[in-house]
Amino acid sequence: MILEQLHQHNNITIYTLNKIVLTQFKNYERETLDFIPEFNVLTGKNGVGKTNVMDAIYYLCMSKSYFGHSDRQISKHGCDFFRLAGDFTQGKKTLKIVAKVKNGSKKEFEKNGRKYDKLADHIGLLPIVFITPDDNSLVRDGSAERRKLLDNTLAQSDAGYLQHLIRYNKLLRQRNAALKKFAETRQVNHALLDTYDQQMAAPAREIFHFRKQMTSQLIPFFQEQYNEISAQAETVGLSYKSALNDNDFPSLIRAAREKDIILQRTTAGIHKDDLVFTIGDYPIKQLASQGQLKTYIIAIKLAQYQVLKSIKKYPPILLLDDIFDKLDNQRVTALVQMLVKRDYGQIFITDTEPGRIRNIIKEKNAMVREIERV
Amino acid sequence: MNFSSKLIEEAVNAFASLPGIGKKTAFRLVLHLMNQDVERSEDFSNAIINMRKNIKTCRVCFNISDEEVCAICSDKARQQSTICVVENLRDLMAIEQTGQYRGQYHILGGVISPIEGIGASDLNIVELVERAKDEEVKEIIMALSPTIEGDTTIYYIAKQMEGMGVAISTIARGVSFGGELEYADELTLGRSIISRVPYGQVND
Repeated sequence: MILEQLHQHNNITIYTLNKIVLTQFKNYERETLDFIPEFNVLTGKNGVGKTNVMDAIYYLCMSKSYFGHSDRQISKHGCDFFRLAGDFTQGKKTLKIVAKVKNGSKKEFEKNGRKYDKLADHIGLLPIVFITPDDNSLVRDGSAERRKLLDNTLAQSDAGYLQHLIRYNKLLRQRNAALKKFAETRQVNHALLDTYDQQMAAPAREIFHFRKQMTSQLIPFFQEQYNEISAQAETVGLSYKSALNDNDFPSLIRAAREKDIILQRTTAGIHKDDLVFTIGDYPIKQLASQGQLKTYIIAIKLAQYQVLKSIKKYPPILLLDDIFDKLDNQRVTALVQMLVKRDYGQIFITDTEPGRIRNIIKEKNAMVREIERV
Repeated sequence: MNFSSKLIEEAVNAFASLPGIGKKTAFRLVLHLMNQDVERSEDFSNAIINMRKNIKTCRVCFNISDEEVCAICSDKARQQSTICVVENLRDLMAIEQTGQYRGQYHILGGVISPIEGIGASDLNIVELVERAKDEEVKEIIMALSPTIEGDTTIYYIAKQMEGMGVAISTIARGVSFGGELEYADELTLGRSIISRVPYGQVND
């Protein structure tokens, strides 16, 4: 059964990207690509720009590069602007999303010809999950990467979350700047710090509740996805680590004040939160082999996918970049077959070898389109 | 642009140094003055010199003023019990234009924003707190921009005035007059619902 029929049958909103036009985006001068609602496999040798197409799709959904590239870095070498246009279908609606980014000007996003006042209003309209080899940083790097995972999921699922986060971060920057200034002038204005502490309390509390709830929503999906792709019975866990678990924000930040003044930055608050990954009863860092780690990370991202799907009531777009690099053939086969079997939405996969993914899923009667990039 | 006269060039450069005026407009203005009587130019430059030399800042509210104390502060017909706190002169003028307010003002000179190097002590906050100690002052109206920095400033000032027995209010935030609800953004509309007004209190 092809995806469209399946979705109509189950009464799920169809959500797909049908066409994308890239202009001066990374290595592309101008390129138009058409997609099908099921499996889209981008093949070609290393360095031809498969991942760039994936990042372009992500950019249209999230208004920024997944890899944290600045807009200036994205424009094709020697060009000072880039443009992306995507034709999406969502239920009965067609959405034409256009991103115009010119160096030195404010970036513009349009939905069906109407410009967004705030980019934040666009986030969450087109849910998307991106799985790449870069995700190893979730385990390898500091807590910022793990907060980003939570923030990314929450921003896509609740418009209010992003407002709180933006507000908190602005206040945090002001507070830090104030602390720096106090050190220069050797004069501490405690009343001003009181003011920031009081202003930050409300968004901090909201963000804490959102993150705590999101973590508990992720856990069951995570376990399920992990068992499915690893075919092992280990218990995997996620826990939300925040100083707000044991303290309220006002007393927390009050207690840290002397330290903040000495270090000239805010040392306590939800910007220090973390997610703790465990396997069995141990932190993942200590225990896992490379293969285990990769499976683990994919399971987290697929849990993110499932959470978004359950909140949005329709499947997000899934981008899988270079999964053969992450997993051995056997695991990829298991993963791809799982993707075919369950009601995932539109999927984009990159692979260096044409035909490999088609071979894995040929007997499943799913639609596959290969786009060769040379 | 190439001028045959050094004198013209200097005058053009002077005009072009003003905001919103380019070389072409500057040249047009200079030509205009050149074709008028000499007295016109004298009056013109005297007006500027006079203004620049004699303009004062009101020592009470920091409004611009010809005297030590500005026309608003010395107007006995205006209410002495309320002080409206604004960021700058432009905001004061905007509120005066409405004709809806007949009290006193206080210009802060900005809002607290350490990122831009503006701390509480760079603003006229101490002076405001001093003014509020006057028995006659009953209410402080905060007419600051609804930004995070504006909020910080309001919080901060309110803290300084704790226990002084002065009422502190802020201007209403919400749906603009003649605006349509469906086009108001969520944050604004949400605020309007939370700070709704009993029917009959709005006189328009």
